[in-house]
Amino acid sequence: MSDTGLVLKDVYRVFPGNVTAVSDVNLEIKNGEYVVFLGPSGCGKTTTLRMIGGHDDPSSGTITIDGELLNGVTPAKRPITTVFQHYALFPHKSVLQNVAFGLKMQGMDKAERETQAKAAIELVGLTAMMDRKPRELSGGQQQRVALGRVLVTRPKAILLDEPLGGLDRLLQLKMRVELRALQRELGITFIHVTHNQEEALSMADRIVVMGDAIVQQVGTPEKLARQPRNEFVATFMGDNNVLKGTIASASGGVIVIDTPYGKVEVEGTGNVGDESSMAIRASAVKVSTDAVPAINGIKVRLDFAEYLGDSVKLHMDLDGKPFMAKVHEERYAEIRAYEGKDITASWTREDGHLLEQ
Amino acid sequence: MVTSLSSNDHHALDEAKAEVAAAEAVEKQTLPEAPLGIMATSGPVRSPLVTLAWIAPGTIWLLLFLIAPLLMIVLVSLWERTPVGFEAFSFTGAAYGRLFETSVYTNTLRDTVIRSVIITLLCILIGYPIAFFLARCVKTVKFQIALFIVVLAPFWVAYVVRIVSWLPVLGRQGLINYFLVNVLQVVQEPVDALFYSTFAITLALIQLYVLFMVTPIFFQLATLDNASVEAARDLGATPSRVFREVIFPLSLPGVLIGCIFVFVLTMGEFATVRLIGGGTIQSVGTIVYEAYVLPDLPKAAAGATILVAVMTVGVAIMLRFSKIREVV
Amino acid sequence: MSLFTYLIILIIISIPFAAMVFLPMKWSKPVLVASFIIFILFMYGPMMTMGVLSLQGPEGSMTLPAHDLFSGHWYSQLNADSDLMAGVRDGIGKSLWISLIVAGITAILSLTLGMAFRRSFRGSGILFYAILLSLMTPGLLLSLGLSFLLYYATPYLNDVGINYHTGQAPLGFVPIIGVQAVWALPFGFLVMMSIFNRYDARAEEAARDLGASSVRTFREVTLPLVWTGVFGAGLFGFTLALNEFERTFLVSGAINTLPLELFIITSTSVLRPYVYSLGVVTILFSFLLIGLFLIVSAVAGRKKALAIDEDDGGSMNTSAMHAAPSGD
Repeated sequence: MSDTGLVLKDVYRVFPGNVTAVSDVNLEIKNGEYVVFLGPSGCGKTTTLRMIGGHDDPSSGTITIDGELLNGVTPAKRPITTVFQHYALFPHKSVLQNVAFGLKMQGMDKAERETQAKAAIELVGLTAMMDRKPRELSGGQQQRVALGRVLVTRPKAILLDEPLGGLDRLLQLKMRVELRALQRELGITFIHVTHNQEEALSMADRIVVMGDAIVQQVGTPEKLARQPRNEFVATFMGDNNVLKGTIASASGGVIVIDTPYGKVEVEGTGNVGDESSMAIRASAVKVSTDAVPAINGIKVRLDFAEYLGDSVKLHMDLDGKPFMAKVHEERYAEIRAYEGKDITASWTREDGHLLEQ
Repeated sequence: MVTSLSSNDHHALDEAKAEVAAAEAVEKQTLPEAPLGIMATSGPVRSPLVTLAWIAPGTIWLLLFLIAPLLMIVLVSLWERTPVGFEAFSFTGAAYGRLFETSVYTNTLRDTVIRSVIITLLCILIGYPIAFFLARCVKTVKFQIALFIVVLAPFWVAYVVRIVSWLPVLGRQGLINYFLVNVLQVVQEPVDALFYSTFAITLALIQLYVLFMVTPIFFQLATLDNASVEAARDLGATPSRVFREVIFPLSLPGVLIGCIFVFVLTMGEFATVRLIGGGTIQSVGTIVYEAYVLPDLPKAAAGATILVAVMTVGVAIMLRFSKIREVV
Repeated sequence: MSLFTYLIILIIISIPFAAMVFLPMKWSKPVLVASFIIFILFMYGPMMTMGVLSLQGPEGSMTLPAHDLFSGHWYSQLNADSDLMAGVRDGIGKSLWISLIVAGITAILSLTLGMAFRRSFRGSGILFYAILLSLMTPGLLLSLGLSFLLYYATPYLNDVGINYHTGQAPLGFVPIIGVQAVWALPFGFLVMMSIFNRYDARAEEAARDLGASSVRTFREVTLPLVWTGVFGAGLFGFTLALNEFERTFLVSGAINTLPLELFIITSTSVLRPYVYSLGVVTILFSFLLIGLFLIVSAVAGRKKALAIDEDDGGSMNTSAMHAAPSGD
């Protein structure tokens, strides 16, 4: 048995009626990694998760874990279990019976499975509520029962389908910390599906961004935040400004793009005359009342300054298109005075980032 | 793996848990109150007079044609008999005395209860697989609805017609005897016992009332949360385990409602027993009817009151037995 | 029949249930399909046999084998000039009128109760169970109780100038309509509840906002949105009243509805196959009504679906959404 973790190779899923839900997915997930599948609804992330869990079969391609082929293996026989969206707890069973269910199915005797289930319940901090029914628990507690129920079977990987979806925001923030801490402690692979960028950035070792049925980018949170690969990722991750134009010159690993709003330079290569686009993070944009620089700067109108507590988000208008900047909250009063007026936005070459076409 | 975990350093996790507990305290406070009525209501609070206007017609109708008649049965059973009817508000227990003069009523009541219990059990046995097939084996919703309508349609056929239609099947020259004698050749002579027998009554009553079992089970199974089934499979349950551990327990409320319907309705049966039993077989219903035409209205009322009492006890036992509150 | 025979029958009946419990879907499905077909035969077989026998010639008897099929003789007999047939035709006429009135009353009561249950009011739980109680009350008991009530009330009614004689038209229709509407009410009510559960109350709020009075809002917004439910409730009333027998039995007096005529014929006179042709006519009539209802609600459903499509500008690829069963 090798230790290569979970590998998806050339996985496609085409539904009847020729609807392609997942296309050409290739992924390697190391054991013990916390991976988040991120994407808008309908992007294929849940379908991918269901295929890993065995609740759906790939139309083509293979899924293996530690070298063992999973295609055609029933969910029951896979060393992978799922924490379902809305938890799917058994409403007629107590917390203890819910958690012990997987062990009961393995044919473990009652005393042994209860000992192990109690250990798992302790792990998720519900010992005091062992005999309650799911409906007597709060959303967060139900979530932890669902976790306990899958942990007890000692899977190689746990799949979580929108695990924080049903919780209110404050509880979501707490559960992020708890889930992450639990995963570190257990060292089990967690694969987590969400449409919430912030959630993905705060929890993942690696993020898999999916869109239009394909994998758009795989990378660490910093990588995705700083260097989105293409326009889809840049816009979906948010707080990115995308500028498009044609390449005016390219030399020494630096290209200059001629946009309708002025020239911008960015590190990278390309052919003069080609269409190209680049992204600048909102937090890298500097705003001032200085004259617009010849390069890497534009004139914009400040529509609205949004106070976010630790920062101020500037919503600006660039010839009818939105342009954003983020500055420290200390500057709120100063910035507000410019609402409705033209200001200068600029950035350095290093902060610009060339996007793949 | 799990056992080794509990010995690890829990510090970070404990901290997180404390925070979560705090967050949940907030969450609990903001949980909406469970609605007290049957339905959650929306919209602004409106005039109580308007509410009363909506409630009144139906309530008056139910009081007049359902509640009052049922109360009347109990009252009349306690009143004096007159040659054509009863003397109102002349309380006596004589009707019950006349009812229990012979052991006929007691024996018939016992037989009726036994028959109803058997029919109820048989209806589960027959109706559950049908409901299960409709709810979980039929893939498209359109086809499911179509088949369900086909199953349900006989409900709209006149009750008397459905009873009469057993005659050409169960009669001495009926379909079943025809098969037994001429096709299968297992018997030489037609079997007489098919019609005018407990067997025939049981068969006809099952056919009449099995829909009251199929329908609630079907709705329970059709609305069952499929994620529970997937979760059970995911955790290693075989198909029959999934059925026993998840599907069946979750369908129990439907089974219970079906049982109550079938038990209560067959307990009060009268016309089927009279038409198919041909006067040789009795039920509580036929005894009540005979007292009614005698006429001994208080005796009929007494028989009916005891019937209602026994039905109520039966239903109470079923509710207790199934621990419905635990299931739902 | 011997105990052994019963045991064999029991084992055969248990096969589909056992298959459902113990076999994986792959193997149990054929068993369930087969048992479903047998179940349909069980439900429709007697009626179909009756249908065949109703087509016999004048020599035909009540049981097999059939004589001289496809003559239509017994159907023409329904038109014959005899007291019996005149009674039957009279019964059909009365049944149709009564059913029509019951349909209207059921529709109104279901609508008002449906409207009432959208608000929260004291005793809503009790009222809800009272509505369902009528489903669980054996018909004979309801009939018995109401006949007592009528016996008791008649002199008082006559005293206050209401010329009521049990079972005589036109006031004699009142108790018949009363019990039949009580019987249909839970069905109609549940139809209305399901309609109101999907109903968006914001449309009403918007109408009020725009200055419509309560009455106008109800007429212009509420009623058009729920009329399929009202129609459905009325249809339940009509079909159930048309076929109602046990509840009507003891309160009808001299007024014989069609099911009562059928009961009297089958329990008192020598049976001839015209009973079957009469049965077939009532079955076809009931099925025609159900078919009509299904068509109307399907058309209404399609209209609604079209309206929603237009709202979306028809841009959504609905087929793609249906094809992808995943949650994303």
